[in-house]
Amino acid sequence: MKVLVINCGSSSLKYQFMDTDDQIVLAKGLIERIGMSGAILTHKRSDGDTVRIVGEILDHTLAIQYVLGVLLSKNHGVIQDRKEIDAVGHRVAHGGETFSSSVLLTNEVMQAIEDNVELAPLHNPANIKGILAVKNILPDVPQCCVFDTAFHVKMPAKAFLYGIPYELYKRYKIRRYGFHGTSHLFVSKKAAEILGQAPEELKIITLHLGNGCSMTAVDGGKSVDTTMGFTPLEGLLMGTRTGDIDPSVVLYIMGKEGLSLSEITTLLNKHSGLAGVSGESSDMREIVEAVKNNHVRAKYAFDMFCYRAKKYIGSYAAAMGGVDAIVFTGGIGENSSDVREEICKGLEFLGIELDEEKNSKRETDLSKSGSRVKILRIPTNEELVIALDTARIVSESK
Amino acid sequence: METENLKFEDLIGKNSVSDEKEQINSVAIIGAGIMGQGIAQCVAAAGIEVIIIEKDGLRLENAKISLTENIEREIKRWVMTESDKKSILSRINWECKIENAKNCDIIIEAVDEDFELKKNIFKQLDKIALEDAIFVSNTSTLSLTKIAEQTSRPGKIIGMHFLNPVPKVPLVELVKCLETSNETLGIVKKFAQRIGKTAVEVYEYPGFVTTRAIVPLLNEAMYILMEGVSTAKDIDTAMKLGYNFPLGPLEMADQMGLDEVLLWMETLWSTLGEPRYRACPALRKLVREKKLGKKTGEGFHKYDSDGKIID
Repeated sequence: MKVLVINCGSSSLKYQFMDTDDQIVLAKGLIERIGMSGAILTHKRSDGDTVRIVGEILDHTLAIQYVLGVLLSKNHGVIQDRKEIDAVGHRVAHGGETFSSSVLLTNEVMQAIEDNVELAPLHNPANIKGILAVKNILPDVPQCCVFDTAFHVKMPAKAFLYGIPYELYKRYKIRRYGFHGTSHLFVSKKAAEILGQAPEELKIITLHLGNGCSMTAVDGGKSVDTTMGFTPLEGLLMGTRTGDIDPSVVLYIMGKEGLSLSEITTLLNKHSGLAGVSGESSDMREIVEAVKNNHVRAKYAFDMFCYRAKKYIGSYAAAMGGVDAIVFTGGIGENSSDVREEICKGLEFLGIELDEEKNSKRETDLSKSGSRVKILRIPTNEELVIALDTARIVSESK
Repeated sequence: METENLKFEDLIGKNSVSDEKEQINSVAIIGAGIMGQGIAQCVAAAGIEVIIIEKDGLRLENAKISLTENIEREIKRWVMTESDKKSILSRINWECKIENAKNCDIIIEAVDEDFELKKNIFKQLDKIALEDAIFVSNTSTLSLTKIAEQTSRPGKIIGMHFLNPVPKVPLVELVKCLETSNETLGIVKKFAQRIGKTAVEVYEYPGFVTTRAIVPLLNEAMYILMEGVSTAKDIDTAMKLGYNFPLGPLEMADQMGLDEVLLWMETLWSTLGEPRYRACPALRKLVREKKLGKKTGEGFHKYDSDGKIID
């Protein structure tokens, strides 16, 4: 089945066109600056042919039309007829408590996504635009929604509730939702495959370390706890986000600096994390470089980043009563051997033993032979999950 | 890689459908004062292209510097980011000629409160602007209906009363004049929402809601001070803590500019004719002495160079 995977941001649109039977990407691309001057479409075909177009794209409907246009184009395209698109899969940021798995798009599903806008005011509206645009242009093609939160929705109440009056959970749905679900699900399944065991038999801790960072305790193939919470701000230290913090600090800063709600939101989301602590960069590569040059604040940032991840490994091992494998993924997780080394250091007592050579060579299995816990490096592939889920759901519905 | 030759039209032809026909894509702002800059910042932050038009080249240049500095100050407070700055400034174009507004969907006038000046601007705009363009005035004292009469499109004329500092006050009063059409009101309401403002609808009437309610209150606080009931500091503390005012009334008056407050009291007094709008003599005295508040370093309070009250 040929599936178009779409990930809509407020002014951007990423797409991949995949053949799910062979699991290959036929073409992929990105549109930036939708609704602004100088919109850019970058399209890459699997044979390496690349095209870049600059012009004006007023809205997401037009953006989708251009995606179709380029997929159909004589010189750069991969299909002859739009009927060759069997289904469209959307990444949707927030499924709230409504969705614990991917679903076929119906009017009810659409309504539920709209109901969850308040929980993801930046992301869900863009996702909705993308869905409507496809509905507009390809009315007969089935669409599926794959939610970033779905994998975590069924974690136990003790993990998802906050210690606030229960009425507030009921009234405003304030709970831990967790994010990067598609990625955690993908790499944990892949890990089971690599280990040659059924996911049901394994206790895995997955670390998605990218621009946003989160960790998940995957027990028997299910997410039982995750570090991101009500919003993607909680948990690990990130490029520009605080992660865990005493809520009183937030209130104290607001009072002292006279900040409004939206201003403190910017401070916590955009000026904190690696960037805020180091004063240097939000990019781990630059932090690692600065540490080598004895930059004191960069060293704090690096240490804090790794220390917090290490603490969560201990915490999730305790939560699951053991751990069989640790998986690193995401830009930092896949590429930074320094970060992996620092996180694993001192965890030998848990049976976590990193092989330095395998680590620096960026192999898949990074653990010493005989290490009780396997340490794996698995590139994530959220688009593939979206495409496969979409293909499965659409064939089942037929 | 192919970049130069291929255009979007080549992909799907020109007969594309867009689902947002009523979308506002470009805004012109006439006048590069504090209000013009603030409005431009909000509009650009919402992803809309803005042209600021100011006939005085030096003033335009200074406005550019002042807006940049304002944003940089916010970055230092950690409440805006470098990328905010880049994207906002990249969407603002600075021009001297009013003709540059000719292709804009909405044109916002934010020049000094001078009836003749505004009248001329609207007359000129009427000739050059798109037929469907909506004209907005930021006036808070002059009759919009009279200004609208100068144009061939009274239905497309509406007031948007922004409050200073525009980027921080999430409110705008939409002022309907006699002929403003519902369609215009609807479009401008959506526009206000898009630039992050909650809109309240008001009819053209002196002081609308905000000024009408706050200025006499400030005036009353001045009488309390003048009659020796309490000190300036205690009056402000009482209202801040007692009624959750973000600033005390005297500090607020100092921040607005005492000359502005006086002008307002006089407008309310002359248009509504009620004795309760009589300006407090203490206010008149300070204005006579050119102690106009924060901007001159002294009003009801004294201020240091950072604008903080000196105890």
